[in-house]
Amino acid sequence: MAFQEKPMGFFTDTSICIGCKACEVACKEWNQLEGNPAHFTADSFDNTGQLDAQNWRHVQFIEQVPDNNGVVMTPTPIAGGQAWLMMSDVCKHCKNASCMEVCPTNALMRTEFDTVYLQKDVCNGCRNCISACPYGVIGFNEQQGVAQKCTLCYDRLQGGLTPACAKACPTESIQFGYLDDLQKAADARLAALQKQGYAKANLYGRDTKVYGGLNAFFLLMDKPAVYKLPNEANATLPSRNNFPGYVGGVATAVVGLIAGLLAFRNGRMNANNNSSTNPR
Amino acid sequence: MPPAEHFVAAPQWEWWILGYFFFGGISGGSYALGTLLRFAGDPRDERAARIAFITSFVALIPCPIFLTLDLGQPFRFWHMLIDTSGGGLAFKPESPMSVGSWALLLFGLFSFVSFVGAIAESGWLKAASPVARALRGTAGLVWSAIGMVLGLFICAYTGVLLAVSNQPVWSDSGWALGGMFLASALSGSAALLLLFARTRRDVDPDTAVRLEVADRYFVVLEAILIAVFLVTLAIAGTITKVLGVWLVLWLIVVLGLLAPLAMARWDVARRWPPVAAPLLALLGVLALRAVVIFSAQT
Amino acid sequence: MTNHWRDIRHADVILINGANPAEAHPVGFQWFVKAKLDPARGPGSGGGAKIIHADPRFTRTSALADIYLRTRVGTDVAYFGGLIKYVLDNKLYHEEYVKNYTNASFIVKEGFDFKDGLFSGYNATNRSYDTSTWAYETEGDVLAGAAGSTQARAKRDLTLEHPRSVFQLLKKHYSRYTPEMVSSITGIPVDQFMNVAKIVGEMGRPDKVMTIVYAVGLTHHTTGGQLIRSGALLQLLLGNMGRPGGGMNAERGHANIQGNTDHAISWEILPGYLRIPAPGQKNLDQYVAASAPKKSDPNSWNFFGTNYRNFMVSILKGWYGDAATKSNEFAFNFIPKPAANSSWMSIYDQALKGKMEGVILSGMTATSIGPDSNQILKALSNLKWLVVMDPLPTTSSEFWKAPGLNSADIKTEVFMLPTTHWIEKDGSFVNSGRWMQWKEQVIPPEGEARHDHWILADLFDRVKTLYKQQSGKFPDPIMAMTLDYKDPKKPELDEIAREINGKDLTTGKQMASFANLKDDGTTTAGDWIYTGSYTEDGNLSKRRNGIQDPTKNDPTGMGFYPTWAWSWPLNRRVMYNRASADVDGKPWDPKRPGIRWDGSRWQGDVPDYPVTMNPKDPAAWLPFIMNGEGVGRLYSNSMLDGPIPEHYEPVESPIPNPLHAQNSADPVAFLYDQAAGRPNRFGTADKYPYIATSYRLTEHEHYVTQHVPLLVGLQPQAFVEVPEELAKEKGIKNGDQVRVSSERGKLEVAALVTKRLGPMKLAGSDKPVYHIGIPIHWGFVGVTADREPEKTRFWLANALTPFVGDVGARTPEFKAFLVNIEKIR
Ligand SMILES: Nc1nc2c(c(=O)[nH]1)N[C@H]1C(S)=C(S)[C@@H](COP(=O)(O)OP(=O)(O)OC[C@H]3O[C@@H](n4cnc5c(=O)[nH]c(N)nc54)[C@H](O)[C@@H]3O)O[C@H]1N2
Ligand SMILES: Nc1nc2c(c(=O)[nH]1)N[C@H]1C(S)=C(S)[C@@H](COP(=O)(O)OP(=O)(O)OC[C@H]3O[C@@H](n4cnc5c(=O)[nH]c(N)nc54)[C@H](O)[C@@H]3O)O[C@H]1N2
Ligand code: SF4
Ligand code: SF4
Ligand code: SF4
Ligand code: SF4
Ligand code: SF4
Ligand SMILES: [Mo]
Repeated sequence: MAFQEKPMGFFTDTSICIGCKACEVACKEWNQLEGNPAHFTADSFDNTGQLDAQNWRHVQFIEQVPDNNGVVMTPTPIAGGQAWLMMSDVCKHCKNASCMEVCPTNALMRTEFDTVYLQKDVCNGCRNCISACPYGVIGFNEQQGVAQKCTLCYDRLQGGLTPACAKACPTESIQFGYLDDLQKAADARLAALQKQGYAKANLYGRDTKVYGGLNAFFLLMDKPAVYKLPNEANATLPSRNNFPGYVGGVATAVVGLIAGLLAFRNGRMNANNNSSTNPR
Repeated sequence: MPPAEHFVAAPQWEWWILGYFFFGGISGGSYALGTLLRFAGDPRDERAARIAFITSFVALIPCPIFLTLDLGQPFRFWHMLIDTSGGGLAFKPESPMSVGSWALLLFGLFSFVSFVGAIAESGWLKAASPVARALRGTAGLVWSAIGMVLGLFICAYTGVLLAVSNQPVWSDSGWALGGMFLASALSGSAALLLLFARTRRDVDPDTAVRLEVADRYFVVLEAILIAVFLVTLAIAGTITKVLGVWLVLWLIVVLGLLAPLAMARWDVARRWPPVAAPLLALLGVLALRAVVIFSAQT
Repeated sequence: MTNHWRDIRHADVILINGANPAEAHPVGFQWFVKAKLDPARGPGSGGGAKIIHADPRFTRTSALADIYLRTRVGTDVAYFGGLIKYVLDNKLYHEEYVKNYTNASFIVKEGFDFKDGLFSGYNATNRSYDTSTWAYETEGDVLAGAAGSTQARAKRDLTLEHPRSVFQLLKKHYSRYTPEMVSSITGIPVDQFMNVAKIVGEMGRPDKVMTIVYAVGLTHHTTGGQLIRSGALLQLLLGNMGRPGGGMNAERGHANIQGNTDHAISWEILPGYLRIPAPGQKNLDQYVAASAPKKSDPNSWNFFGTNYRNFMVSILKGWYGDAATKSNEFAFNFIPKPAANSSWMSIYDQALKGKMEGVILSGMTATSIGPDSNQILKALSNLKWLVVMDPLPTTSSEFWKAPGLNSADIKTEVFMLPTTHWIEKDGSFVNSGRWMQWKEQVIPPEGEARHDHWILADLFDRVKTLYKQQSGKFPDPIMAMTLDYKDPKKPELDEIAREINGKDLTTGKQMASFANLKDDGTTTAGDWIYTGSYTEDGNLSKRRNGIQDPTKNDPTGMGFYPTWAWSWPLNRRVMYNRASADVDGKPWDPKRPGIRWDGSRWQGDVPDYPVTMNPKDPAAWLPFIMNGEGVGRLYSNSMLDGPIPEHYEPVESPIPNPLHAQNSADPVAFLYDQAAGRPNRFGTADKYPYIATSYRLTEHEHYVTQHVPLLVGLQPQAFVEVPEELAKEKGIKNGDQVRVSSERGKLEVAALVTKRLGPMKLAGSDKPVYHIGIPIHWGFVGVTADREPEKTRFWLANALTPFVGDVGARTPEFKAFLVNIEKIR
């Protein structure tokens, strides 16, 4: 069953993520990624570290168990998905994609499913996209000399298959589908959580406030920054600096040129006046 | 405005890029000075002007080489110009790297022609004297004027390239970076010309003096932009990233700035070997780019 | 599980004790999440099921729980006991259910007693109970019924007032389990306990239902049996047994450990939980009389007891064919009658005593499994030969390489027989919900690997040939063993599945139900509880009518999916489901029916009851048809360590038992070293002040996944979880190397400092008590070990654990022991 050519993506509900990392492994298996050399980080249960060329999914583990008051910890506030946050991070497939803006080769393209796809055979490894992606998603593959990131399983989507990570997720924390359906599901889930009193629960990237909306958006149980996600104020595109950058350059150039001309013209007279005093 | 939050990864732009930024700056800056000297219109400056154009091209040679070597797929350097994805030419105004690639190509042409003209004027390479002749008079002025614009673009866009990202430091100082690199390129190039002027008998001594004056202006301009740069970082809350160990590099930057001024003020300067100040200035140019490039990525 | 995975979504409250499903059963955990997300579930006005996780560690399960209780290992009897008291005191139990569906009304004989932590009939010299003093008071003479499966009628008092009625005994017994007492034992603060008690108390209402989920966090204790029973008691009192969304649900281990258990992986049973014959039993009569449950009420069907002989004869007939005849008691004498305990630890105990010549390990690595790995290594070194059947190298197939052993001194000859991995063969997995699900071979075998069943068949064939050539002491069982497969040396698993189901020898047809098994030698059944899984309609475990078409495949809408695979017994999805309906056959909760009486038949799930038996008929059977009593047992005289669960401390504990210090630990726990005349090696709190508990991580499957690079990448090396406060006290920083030592051995691993573990306040200890968490997954073989052998020298979690077992199954105390911890660097 093939998919319709309309925006598709992920709704990742972190409130039901159990940190099993099946998504990480499924992604590596499908995309034949070896992963980086194993190393123990002592950072909760996360030994993957970050999204990069070898890790297109990365499950974050954020421990915020409150202090044990006296001898025992107070349970109620900490249970229910706020003491130990788990979040399966991935390329957000931004509607306004920073990476696409800067890519000089157009290796980064938008697919018929509105996802952002990096064409390995076009990429020349300039790494400009890495400097641009606000989420640190893209990594540079030294062996292949190209940048790499989540393809949103473009190959599987073309064959009408659910992405490997979503398929493997046991709790349906990663939900894959048409964006409009996912957004409805997300709104319902948020409402339910708020009814249960989870004031901090929020949707990230569901509306247009960050990068015009994210095709892979999230339900978070705490502030975006806790999950290493820039908040609305900080979700800015690289191109914002094009205008000021060039204007600053031109202004400086003009001043510089005038200064130069002055120097070379008046400089002459000055030179005359004190040329005699100048010992040769 | 709340302090900026950055969760980006580093692009691993390192030594090749530093090298490119330096030589690109010197090349563009020198071309600009050469052109200015011609516009100033004193025949006695002609020698210095030629040196400027020659310097510009020589400094330009490593640039494409460095850039290509920095690529993960060097043999796909041409993907910067030809769109192998959608077909046609790859030109993206919103991508400084794309614009820069084209600018570098065009500037290469201007710089090369002016270079040929310059050496022909100097009496070498007789075959090229037609080029020299073509470049005399207004035609030449127009040509080098356009070349100058491109050259100055090369100096400035490297800063914009960094700014057009989401990296700490780089993207936090959108306004200042391009100008800062341009100013330092001018002061660096002035210093370099000065160095040649001082060391070569055939350059008119007055030219050297005027270069000194120009250099001083550029230094002041650069100093102002560095200040603006630091202030914007302070506002963004990322200034600490460029401090710490990086203060060593800043020290070199400052020495590079003071050298030409010192030269003017105290005649201690006179007792220095004539090349000391220009060399310091050049080091400063290098240090400034190094501190910006590396501090952000660590 | 009494119920099944999918059924957990029907619960209003989910109590998780001694289990970490989000990590150990991640796929099954989806049903917990579904319950949580379903607004129709939950206490009070609903809004989603409440998950209550009691665990010493804040785990990935706690992260999704609604209430987390930091409890002390080995104290769940106190926790459940406290809840039982709360339910009894406040009359929150399901009265109609308790009266009619449990043995609350049964009267216990004069002379039963419980004092200072000891039940009546205790014998201190051989550390065991004479359970006869726990029997019911009876009247009249032995009831009619199949030979050896009846006793005299047990007296009952349906008012539940009689001082020796089970109900009153319970009240008395648990009167000591006050919230304060519970708190001082478990470490759970009183207010938090009461908060939970209120929610649990509500689950006695017919329109509410609670499930209890547990796993080896309850079994890996010298008190395991009672830990689990205490939960079952609570469920019986709340009327949650037999109901969808209720039950006492064990999450099992390996993908097919349930099948393993059903087919008698443990020594004390034959397939289908028939007792292994005991020395002195000369014939079937004696065997059945000694083994079968006894009918103790005229309305009790006592189905198991009644059919005990049919099941046994059908096994014998299946195994020995024509050699099993009426005249020779169907070759009953072919079956071994072990004189000594032969449980897992006993094997190595025998080896230590030099009484074991060789051992065959298949699909299991003794060295890592433990307990007390260093002693296990000694045992293996004592063997003449060791055979390891495994697709991969294990810490047993390479045991002589264990750090600290000098391979030159080890005489044991080790044979490695490369087997296929389960992924390289077909066959069935039986999941925790008792579903027998057939699987196909995924990849063809590699290299010289052979299927286990082929290796064993070939081995058997060679032994048989040797007997033929050289005769031998007792050849008959070997010679008579039927192997009617196309190729007896290469039986197919499908053929074996067929054989297990059994057939009618008169018609040659596959049996459709174990109800038709006979004791006259005309039927066979390799394992009676699987009779019905492979009928004339074929191998039913291959059925796959699932969520493709719910309306068709799930007619009741209760998620039974009767034509998806097959579940024992008789494709029943919820056991004891007669108890899901009231006396008249109306479901307690019409919204969540198990079965219901429509006036002529029972509808819904496959009834755990005769399908046409009218519940209003005065002769109708009592609901729990498998039990001798015909009702659920709040009180059981078939447990070896007491008829009513009582809290005992683990063998190694930081505090004396607050209930009875003089009998602190379980008085009948089996202390192997002591029993064998070796010195006990137990640590005390002064030298080993911290409680350790060992467990799994999602990222690894015990030891085997140390061979899987991607998984090693997720959890690359051994570590222990250390509470932040303790770490501060000890100057241990996150990531430091630490030494964790017990009286038996040590670990040298990294420390993961976390707030997820923390201090607790207990009776009889002025300082806060800490747990240290010890994942079990590492050893001296695998990717990391191959890369950095030096680093992995002291990575065997079981170097620390005590060599003791519980009185019944002799399960080791993996979950509670004492250690010390110090920083290395
Ligand atoms: N990822 C993964 N899954 C597995 C396995 C694996 O190796 N890896 N193994 C499979 C096997 S064979 C089995 S048996 C199951 C075991 O499944 P589980 O029993 O769930 O696994 P464990 O981690 O051994 O223990 C579960 C929890 O019990 C807690 N606990 C220990 N003692 C007590 C106690 O006295 N009271 C309470 N309330 N909690 C206690 C521990 O802190 C731990 O969090 O897992 C199966 N699933
Ligand atoms: N301290 C402590 N110790 C424990 C526990 C604990 O919680 N704490 N848990 C205990 C429990 S519950 C269990 S189940 C054990 C688990 O201990 P094990 O069962 O020893 O652990 P696994 O690594 O699952 O071992 C399975 C082995 O079977 C092999 N295998 C796989 N498929 C096949 C096959 O088809 N045929 C054959 N012949 N071999 C095959 C694998 O290669 C692997 O070596 O550990 C026990 N030990
Ligand atoms: S997350 Fe980063 S890589 Fe993905 S689309 Fe957005 S900018 Fe590009
Ligand atoms: S690295 Fe590849 S994808 Fe990224 S910007 Fe350069 S060419 Fe485009
Ligand atoms: S969508 Fe595909 S590529 Fe992207 S993370 Fe999931 S599995 Fe990996
Ligand atoms: S597979 Fe699903 S539950 Fe598991 S870590 Fe990934 S997102 Fe979380
Ligand atoms: S490993 Fe297999 S058995 Fe265990 S949870 Fe995953 S699927 Fe279920
Ligand atoms: Mo297990």
